[in-house]
Amino acid sequence: MKKRGVGIGLSFYGTGYGNGFPDVSNAEVQLMEDGKVAIFVGATEVGQGAKTALIQIGAETLQLDYKNIIFINEDTDMMPDSGTAAATRQTYNTGNAIKIACENFNEEIKKAAQKALGLNSTAGLIVKDGVVYLAMFPDKRISYKELSKIYKDDIIKAKGTFTAQTVKMDDETGQGAPYWPYTFNACMVLVEVDTNTGRVELLKSIFAQDVGRAVNPRLVEGQMDGGFAMGLGYTLFEDLNLDKGKMRNNRFSKYLIPTSMDMIDIENIIIEDPESTAPYGAKGIGEPTTIPVGPAILNAIYDATGVRVTHLPVTPENLMKAIRESEKSEAI
Amino acid sequence: MTLDQVFKGNSISEVLELLNQYKEDAKIIAGGTDIIIGLRNGKITPKVLIDISKIDELRQIQVEENKIIIGSATTYTQIVENELFDTNLYGFKKACRLVGSPQIRNKGTIGGNIANASPAADSIPPLIALGAELNISSLRGNRKLLLEDYFNEKEDNRLRADELLMSIEFEIPKKNQVLGFSKLGLRKALAISRVTLSSLIGIDDDVNIENIRVASGSIGKYPMREREVEEALIGKRFNSEILKIAASSLQSSMDKRLVGRSTYPYKRRAVVTLFEEVYKDNLSYFNEVTL
Repeated sequence: MKKRGVGIGLSFYGTGYGNGFPDVSNAEVQLMEDGKVAIFVGATEVGQGAKTALIQIGAETLQLDYKNIIFINEDTDMMPDSGTAAATRQTYNTGNAIKIACENFNEEIKKAAQKALGLNSTAGLIVKDGVVYLAMFPDKRISYKELSKIYKDDIIKAKGTFTAQTVKMDDETGQGAPYWPYTFNACMVLVEVDTNTGRVELLKSIFAQDVGRAVNPRLVEGQMDGGFAMGLGYTLFEDLNLDKGKMRNNRFSKYLIPTSMDMIDIENIIIEDPESTAPYGAKGIGEPTTIPVGPAILNAIYDATGVRVTHLPVTPENLMKAIRESEKSEAI
Repeated sequence: MTLDQVFKGNSISEVLELLNQYKEDAKIIAGGTDIIIGLRNGKITPKVLIDISKIDELRQIQVEENKIIIGSATTYTQIVENELFDTNLYGFKKACRLVGSPQIRNKGTIGGNIANASPAADSIPPLIALGAELNISSLRGNRKLLLEDYFNEKEDNRLRADELLMSIEFEIPKKNQVLGFSKLGLRKALAISRVTLSSLIGIDDDVNIENIRVASGSIGKYPMREREVEEALIGKRFNSEILKIAASSLQSSMDKRLVGRSTYPYKRRAVVTLFEEVYKDNLSYFNEVTL
């Protein structure tokens, strides 16, 4: 028989290293000879979209088209340390470092423009689209290209460092505020369970994710889809099958992960509630997107069958075992 | 023994001569989806490989009178894309479409699936339900073998070292007959079958089951006919009442075969849904066609 059920999973997740551990990101920005601006950060792109979102944060702060930004993030000879691409921390932590470095750079290039234009001070100078100009008298202007001819590269540059604020938990009581910021989400799934085969079919999902500010909404949705797929695999398929410490499912024909055929179209909802300490309000969502999926599926299975599964993965055989046991106890 | 040579077969006679020359030292390769893995992990250690994937006569689907003949090196993709399998042979197409992934279906062949004799081969149960026969050749001559006999325990039936599986043939089902198929895999693609079921059911003017063949995969040591179910259903009216009869007779066969196996309680119940799926496939054909 086929039975349907709905389940909801909720999560909140502290991003960054946390617990008072020094969590530092550095960024460097400099004017290049061709008038372009280079950003150097140690934020590894692992598919999450760091290269895109972090350039966007830089472009916004520099008021410069992203095409005029050179982004170096995976050359350890050139870039400063920005911590690991882990702990859902790059958008928030390195995003903040880039924003600070770019703000510092804007001040440096204003100083250079002041000199070149023979002005009394940098007051009233605006940077926009690769030009520094005086707000009260816009004819007083100089482009980054012209400045770069005067100063060459390696002259106009700035640094930025962001250190996240977290508090070490009390060793005795375990009390404290170990993380900041937190990311929140809610995931609903509708499933259909075949009570003869134990197959769990996902029919629908609505997934709401708080991101502070979506720097790139398409990437946010991509991370939500990806996190959901991983949560789905973790819940229904993935099993190392450890036998005395040995992995028995040691190949992908045995260690199953979802295929595109097993994924469904998810109705993603992006919640924007800007975080005051974040770059333009943006928080990371890398890990959080996986967390509520398992609980949502397990709750939906419970709603459909009355069976509470406490062991993952819920393979058809494991679920049938649980269903048979619950039928037996009902019969008694 | 290490692999010494790979021959690219240009004609059937050339392949038969090579097989005769190298016998046990030779392995036929067509799509290579199983054999390459076997070579890599050392499960098979042939001295020579004979590639039959470029021999046109082995890679075609032909209709001769009331029969369909499928060359052994025909790929799953060729089968899935052939409209011969769109109506009452849809169960066969469905089985072939559920094999592996598009890449595997582009390379993997129907003959390889049979020659490897995996108990979980998806395409076998529908072919058994169709009463398919194998055409086997060697320099010694040709022989025909019923597919369902190929998988039983008699070693004699298996391909001998000098033999080549040429083609698989079966009678085209009549308009009042339909082939159904269902598979239980652990995910929706690239999944090895846990259980498969297929049935060819023919009904008469009074909607009674006139003829029936049922075949299963992975609920025995090898893919096989389910004669107990066939006997229970023959002559019965084709409606949802056969579901219970089919389930209980399938389970009674499994009780004799599988008791004591760890997978038995699971498979015993799963076949209920699998037969329902086959029944629904068959029903939708009968609903659409005017007999």
